[in-house]
Amino acid sequence: MRLSEVTERVSAATARVPRSVYAVGGLVIAIIFPLLNMAGWVETAWLRVGVISLLFVMLSLGLNIVMGETGLLNLGYIAFFAFGAYTTALLSSPKFELRWPFLVVVVLSALIAMVAGFVIGLPTLRLRGDYLAIVTLAFGEIVRLTITNLQDFTNGPNGITGIYSPRLVGEGALESLGSTGPAAWLVIDKPVEYYYLVLVCVAVTAVLISNLKNSRIGRAWNALREDELAAVSAGITASRAKLLSVVLSAGIAGFAGSLFAYYSNVISPESFLFMQSVIVVCMVVLGGMGSIPGVILGAIVLQALPQVIRQAAGAARSEFEVYRMLIFGIIIVVMVIFRPEGLLPDTLWRREAHEVDPREQEKTRQSLFDLEEGEKDLEV
Amino acid sequence: MGAILELQGVSMSFGGLKAVDSLTFDVRENEIVSIIGPNGSGKTTTFNVISGLYEPDSGDILLKGESVAGLRPDQVHDKGISRTFQSLRLFSNMSVLDNVLVGMHSVTDAGLIASMLRLPKVRREEAAMRAKAREILEMFPGRFSGPRQQQPAFSLSYANRRRLEIARALASEPALLLLDEPVAGMNPMESREVMEQIKVLRDKGYTILMIEHDMHVVEGVSDRVIAMDHGVKIAEGTYTEVANDPQVVEAYLGKRAAEATA
Repeated sequence: MRLSEVTERVSAATARVPRSVYAVGGLVIAIIFPLLNMAGWVETAWLRVGVISLLFVMLSLGLNIVMGETGLLNLGYIAFFAFGAYTTALLSSPKFELRWPFLVVVVLSALIAMVAGFVIGLPTLRLRGDYLAIVTLAFGEIVRLTITNLQDFTNGPNGITGIYSPRLVGEGALESLGSTGPAAWLVIDKPVEYYYLVLVCVAVTAVLISNLKNSRIGRAWNALREDELAAVSAGITASRAKLLSVVLSAGIAGFAGSLFAYYSNVISPESFLFMQSVIVVCMVVLGGMGSIPGVILGAIVLQALPQVIRQAAGAARSEFEVYRMLIFGIIIVVMVIFRPEGLLPDTLWRREAHEVDPREQEKTRQSLFDLEEGEKDLEV
Repeated sequence: MGAILELQGVSMSFGGLKAVDSLTFDVRENEIVSIIGPNGSGKTTTFNVISGLYEPDSGDILLKGESVAGLRPDQVHDKGISRTFQSLRLFSNMSVLDNVLVGMHSVTDAGLIASMLRLPKVRREEAAMRAKAREILEMFPGRFSGPRQQQPAFSLSYANRRRLEIARALASEPALLLLDEPVAGMNPMESREVMEQIKVLRDKGYTILMIEHDMHVVEGVSDRVIAMDHGVKIAEGTYTEVANDPQVVEAYLGKRAAEATA
């Protein structure tokens, strides 16, 4: 059997499974996973891998809005993650001796990232393709370098340390409830607690985005990607719709960044390297642009798989580190050749990937039409 | 009946070329007006100026007395002008139904937060949109029935894609419908069918301005015909008047032919 036949069969098989099966199945696995740790079957290190994977799921979901739905490439996406993380770090750490309430900080972090999205989105609306890639790449680097050099604010390369754990309720309520039993969950400071917190955030984000995808706004994004001229002529305000997608995706990255800062306690500019942006792009491409289950899978595969391999590599661990990016590269190249629509593709992108050149189709149709219908009608 | 669309001395040039030269005409309510003219006479440019893709160099365009000149295409669409394209411009990977739903974008208003939460209001609007879209597709009997609505637009036959473009333009119930060569590339039987369809649209109260090369169609549906050549309006009137106008004959067939008919 040829390889293309295999991929065809896989496509056919995955297309038959209803999407709800993936959603429920994935959620059940995600909920059960920490229980394995509590039972002592899985090391806590894997729970940490789980938290980071979920954060990347959230990033991929956000990037998917601009890349998968609106069709705008963003190579500096991690900058919005940085905005969220630093906002949280500044508002909830000994740096300025602040400890603002968790909810306020998370919302503010997302909002600041959205403002950043608006600022970079507005002047780049007209750009597409290569130009957009260059500008967003530069934006990502500018943000990182600014953070590195803004010593007074960000401690530069040393980063901000001692970020406080999130408290879900106010201090007063916490004292009266104590810190034992179920009340212990009100202060998020253990990996399990972070895991479930992030899981809830990811699940809510996925549901909200999925609703949006199937709304008039989602359709407008898709229409703009398919044919911008036709879309504006059909009454879609291109600038507003594009800006909305950029700002929303930035907000999700800011949200994820905030959770990341809380979780890791310490943040420094090296968490926001250009390579991280590229990895998120890879997650979206691997999973399937425009497909929510796809990008979730893509993020988990690319984030968790290296850890699994590292574990399996044992003594050859450092060896593997060297080849990590090479393996990433090979996976992406193989994907783009054999399954360009991703692991769990979105309908539109599957058509996009497998469609014959429309002009070519047009010609074929025209000649068929001349042959069949044309002559038949002449007889009439 | 009042004028829906008025063009007042509209000019548009590209570098040294005057594609449209102080063009003045109007389209009255519930009327079908056809623009004819040889290739390069400025017909499609006129459409592009009206629909906001180009901003006219001078002159004004009024829709129901309100100027729409210089507005963006989406704003013009909001005001009530929707159009089809000579070279098909469908969202080819999207389903037939979704194509029509996109056409309703400007007449619906579910916002970001409401759509994310899928509030009852949004669900109601979405259901109403779908019902409306099906109704519009039903206007082309047998062409977009049942499962075909879920198929991608690119899988349709050429004639059906043209029909779908008209359906998408109708989705917002425009005050003025611009059709750019609606029967281009169709066989005689299909053109006749589209012609009947256009008449039905007039009966439903639509006002239509169209560009067409197929003279049978022009003759069959037009209340008035405008002939253009080199960006200038050279004749206007009923089909018979325009078809026998010496300037029109000259534009199409050359000077000698015009003298022969005269």
